[in-house]
Amino acid sequence: MSAVILQAVNGISLAALLFLLASGFTLTFGLMRVVNMAYGAYYLLGGYIGYSIARRTGSFELAMLAGGATIVVIGFFVDRFLIRPLGGNHLAQVLLTVGVAFVIGEVCLAIWGGDNLRIPTPVWLRGAMELPGGFYYPKYRFGLIVFGTVAAVGLWLLYHKTQIGAVVRAGVDDREMVNATGINVDRLFALVSALASFLAGMAGVVGGAFLTLNPGAEWDILVLALVVVIIGGLGSLEGAILGSIIVGLLDAYGRWLLPEFSYFVLFGPMAILLLFRATGIFGKEH
Amino acid sequence: MRLALIVAGLALAAAMPLLAGEFWVTLLSQIMIFGLLALSADLLLGNAGLFSLCHAAFFAVAAYTTAILQVRYGASTALAAPAGILAGTALSFLFAFAVRTRGVYFILITLAFGYIVWGVAYRWASFTGGDNGVTNVPFPAIGGYRVANATQYYYVVLVTVVLCGLAYRLLVTSPFGLTLRGIKSSESRMRSLGYDVGRHLYMAFVLSGLIASIAGVLYVYYNRFINPVAASFPVSVEAVLMAIVGGSGTILGPFLGSGIILVLRNWVSGFFHYYTAVLGIVFIVTVLWAPQGIMGLVARWRAGNRGEGA
Repeated sequence: MSAVILQAVNGISLAALLFLLASGFTLTFGLMRVVNMAYGAYYLLGGYIGYSIARRTGSFELAMLAGGATIVVIGFFVDRFLIRPLGGNHLAQVLLTVGVAFVIGEVCLAIWGGDNLRIPTPVWLRGAMELPGGFYYPKYRFGLIVFGTVAAVGLWLLYHKTQIGAVVRAGVDDREMVNATGINVDRLFALVSALASFLAGMAGVVGGAFLTLNPGAEWDILVLALVVVIIGGLGSLEGAILGSIIVGLLDAYGRWLLPEFSYFVLFGPMAILLLFRATGIFGKEH
Repeated sequence: MRLALIVAGLALAAAMPLLAGEFWVTLLSQIMIFGLLALSADLLLGNAGLFSLCHAAFFAVAAYTTAILQVRYGASTALAAPAGILAGTALSFLFAFAVRTRGVYFILITLAFGYIVWGVAYRWASFTGGDNGVTNVPFPAIGGYRVANATQYYYVVLVTVVLCGLAYRLLVTSPFGLTLRGIKSSESRMRSLGYDVGRHLYMAFVLSGLIASIAGVLYVYYNRFINPVAASFPVSVEAVLMAIVGGSGTILGPFLGSGIILVLRNWVSGFFHYYTAVLGIVFIVTVLWAPQGIMGLVARWRAGNRGEGA
């Protein structure tokens, strides 16, 4: 019985991590119609940078900031000079950003090597805590759940209750009209893109403390984030929240109950969902 | 003129083992096999406008089936090879439901489908051999005839690929193929003309899976072992890149692209450890500056010549 609950908590903590990555992907897609397959590589590079910073300074918080900030800079250049010339061609975007991901992955391999690295967790989140029901759970993972929840609530409030959020929502629905009302859409894009990059880089640091950082991790995490986005619906923040929870739970229970077929457990429900609702739970036609 | 070029090319390909060493013969086999895989992906991309990222799945399932039957159950090539093709094609019947979606969703779903197969190949170690895969696949042997070395296998690959190329040409010039082109340029128009778009795309997907499966079987006898790398995402996306580098929507293009990428890999790997980074740059450069590929450049050059002549 307690294993069932334990796996649920595991699933939710993975969901918190996935949300950080998937929310950026889904918002940039919703607003800019850009499919950026380099988000996995952003995650990995952010994580590695955070690793080096955490090793040097011992500060996990600084590592998160540095990981996020580096990716903001890289993401800006990729957006501005590589993705933008392609216009709205999704095929070209996918190929190009896969190329970017390959390059980033190899640079990481050259700098940090092929070993599994793990970022040291902050001191105050080390060890285990007792949960109601009398079992122990790593503090760090619990902190991750809290962090993910705060991020989700924060993004939700930003998206639904602020003026910037209103403009972004309007942009998702009808970009031309927003442009026509005199709002600087370029600046809006850059802002959302920077936020998404920051979240992806930070996710790498947060994730690098309980998963490991290694070559190939960028694709593992990207695929999970893509499933989140597919299930929830491209361009929907609520979809990213719900999708993260679904994927996190499916992954945790799948690994536990059917380790050899855990990918089936993950992708099977997604395939069935898509047969009935091709745009995901909250998605619209694109 | 074109026919003469093709005949000359085939004659050259047939004489290749006499002209060049085993290294080149082996590399050429590899180029043709991956060219066939690229061609299969391009049946969807170049003709129907669907960008699939799961073709390594059919490729790998066919290869694994053949390898497991042949190595573990001692089946003959006459049984193992068709079984491999059948298994890969059967999977494509299942994955073909992806054609219910379009655009980004199609790309992302096929990517996820591809990952299922990779995940199973990697994690179901008791059956697939996990990371180590299946080793010691013998050369194919049918009846009394046995392929003895890489040069003889080269001819097997050459004949199979040429036959597939001919069949492919018949397919894309048939009413079915032309309907696909019609769907690519305007789906709504074809729909209002009364074509069953969904069924055409479904069939195209399955046929494309069939070609990828043939490539997979050719590959496993070429490589003599198979592991989860063959099912991985880079193989799928590289196949699409090959088609685009060479020229999407043509028959020769994917093979040209395969040649360029594989020769580049062999050359670069000789002195640079980080080949994937070079591949990434090829992706970026192709997309930004040569989206129509080599065949596109050739077509533009020929159109230019004709323009001056007139």
